[in-house]
Amino acid sequence: MDKPLQSSTTYELQFNGSGNAFFSVIVVNWLLTIVTLGFYYPWAKARKLQFLYGETSLNGDSFSFHGTGKEMFKGFIKAIFIFVLLYALLFLFLYLKIPFIGLLLFYLGFFAILPLAIHGSYRYRMSRTSWRGIRFGYRGDRKELITNFFKWIFFTIITFGIYGSWMSINLRNYLLGNVRFGDVEFNYDGDGADYFVLNLKGYFLTVFTLGIYSFWWQKDLFEYYVDNLSLNQDGKEITLTSTVTGGGFAGLAIVNLLIIVFTLGLGYAWVVTRSMKYIFENIKLEGNIDLDSIAQTEDNFKDATGEDISDFLDLDFVI
Amino acid sequence: MKERTIGIFYDGVSSVPQEIELIFDKEKKGFAFKTANNKLHFWKLNDIVFGKKGSVLNLEHGEEILQNIKVKNIDFISSVNVFRKKNGYIDWYQRLIDLGLKSHVILAVFILIFIVLGYIFVIPWVAEKSVVLIPEDYDNKLGDTFYEQNMTFSSIDSSKTKALNLFAKELKLNNTKKLKFTVVNSSEVNAFALPDGNIVVFTGIIDSMTGYDELVGLIGHEASHVNNRHSMKMLCRNLSGYLFVSTVLGDANGVMAVLGDNVNMIQSLSFSREFERQADLDGFEIMTLNKINPEGMSTLFKRLQGEKNFSIPEFLSSHPVTTERIGYIDEMIKTKSFVFKENPRLKKLFKEIKY
Ligand SMILES: [Zn+2]
Repeated sequence: MDKPLQSSTTYELQFNGSGNAFFSVIVVNWLLTIVTLGFYYPWAKARKLQFLYGETSLNGDSFSFHGTGKEMFKGFIKAIFIFVLLYALLFLFLYLKIPFIGLLLFYLGFFAILPLAIHGSYRYRMSRTSWRGIRFGYRGDRKELITNFFKWIFFTIITFGIYGSWMSINLRNYLLGNVRFGDVEFNYDGDGADYFVLNLKGYFLTVFTLGIYSFWWQKDLFEYYVDNLSLNQDGKEITLTSTVTGGGFAGLAIVNLLIIVFTLGLGYAWVVTRSMKYIFENIKLEGNIDLDSIAQTEDNFKDATGEDISDFLDLDFVI
Repeated sequence: MKERTIGIFYDGVSSVPQEIELIFDKEKKGFAFKTANNKLHFWKLNDIVFGKKGSVLNLEHGEEILQNIKVKNIDFISSVNVFRKKNGYIDWYQRLIDLGLKSHVILAVFILIFIVLGYIFVIPWVAEKSVVLIPEDYDNKLGDTFYEQNMTFSSIDSSKTKALNLFAKELKLNNTKKLKFTVVNSSEVNAFALPDGNIVVFTGIIDSMTGYDELVGLIGHEASHVNNRHSMKMLCRNLSGYLFVSTVLGDANGVMAVLGDNVNMIQSLSFSREFERQADLDGFEIMTLNKINPEGMSTLFKRLQGEKNFSIPEFLSSHPVTTERIGYIDEMIKTKSFVFKENPRLKKLFKEIKY
């Protein structure tokens, strides 16, 4: 038991879900969604997430997603209410024959919702995820995120989109940097310039190679995402390293495409589980944090409105 | 009856694994165990979330303080499962999941067939019916918006527009709503009908015409699109098709995007084949009703088909003149009886419109 302080251990992150089991989850979701004319959607989403999280394990213990259909349904109703309000505002101004102000307010409202949705969905997802009963959490400050978000959007607009790279990385640094796993803190250390160069190179090489390079671009992006992420607890650390390869991504994508085509889309479940397996197999964790010593620090947060707005707007969840 | 095993307990305060002796008490319907400080716990079956991860059973308990017990003993696990099944502790959802892969594949195939059939037969029907529920007012608003957005920068020929409106006034077009015609200076061989009754005709298509009968054919066709609310039907069809698929596949994504730009959607509206066919048939009927030679429609379509600078702008791509369309018009000319006579008033107005 008395390991030297410097000693480094590896951790095992795995996805164990089988395509067959996931297929069952999806088909039952379909059935119930049809039978309820779509109202089952929030519950279906909860079931799906519960399955995917539950089949992911760290050192043999699985993660749990505690979000429920009821929470997401409530969020769903609130999200609809917010959008209806926005549209009502727009129509009010159209009715008053001042469409310009109406549109301006409409778009401003839309933009203002974005950071709120991101903030809300991070808080919800994190606090409803646990491992060994220890909750994740997101401690970002809503006001700070909104201010930064508008600042970054402004820079992105006046630089004709170039600042977009910096914006994504700043956002990632902020969001992931505020994620906690009990008393373990997440840390993301990305740089907008590196990210910009990486994308520039990826874009041109993809064009020159008629798309073939895109898999290597994807590999670079994934690597950039994983390698810059680390976990800290009292000066101890876990670092993440990606071992994905461009060839690996290419093989994955080609087989996935064949599965989808030859099963008329029914093979979607296997596509997801194969991809998850590949991704988790290729993240190496190394460090000296003792996973038996994590303390509970995060609270429950059950408001899924942000989560549902993100879903409406098709925002990809960034973790 | 009690069964015992060794489990790993996580207390929800830290991630330290604690070994415990877990007792499954069938009479009290729950699990009992003691933790390090000799504190006794009892979890009722109803309060536990069961999760099976591989061969490991995971018991989850509590809301604010999340506690877990991991059990690896296979005999113990199966005994718990048998008890739960026997005593109705398996909920309907789990029972659906437990149906097995084979039943799920069959179910999935049924759902797939249901989607395809729904898409082909149910959606157009529902859309057709739901159009009745949408007030005509909305057609007008949609048409107005589109007209304002697109006509602001077009050069309208006011004298030709006036003549075309007089031309149309001479005709019985079976219309229920007022039709308003506009002639726009453009080389595009094009014309389109908006849901509010605005019909826009480009000089390009008028210049290619040789007789007023062709213009009557075109107007008849466009008027039919308005009379039958084809734009609105198409809009309903697109929207309900999207909602149908997203409902079935349980995906709310992008619903907003679709609702958001339904004004722009009218632009990409391509009328379906059956709508074109209906407009052609109605156009033909309008021609015979007005005692105009229906050959004009056939002549116009044949010329459009042969048109060299068939630039396929927004509109022509949505009313493609196909051999099939010319075919059934020629067939009607052959088989239907009709009378026609020269109409000097239309002839005179046509000259005004053309030159
Ligand atoms: Zn047409």
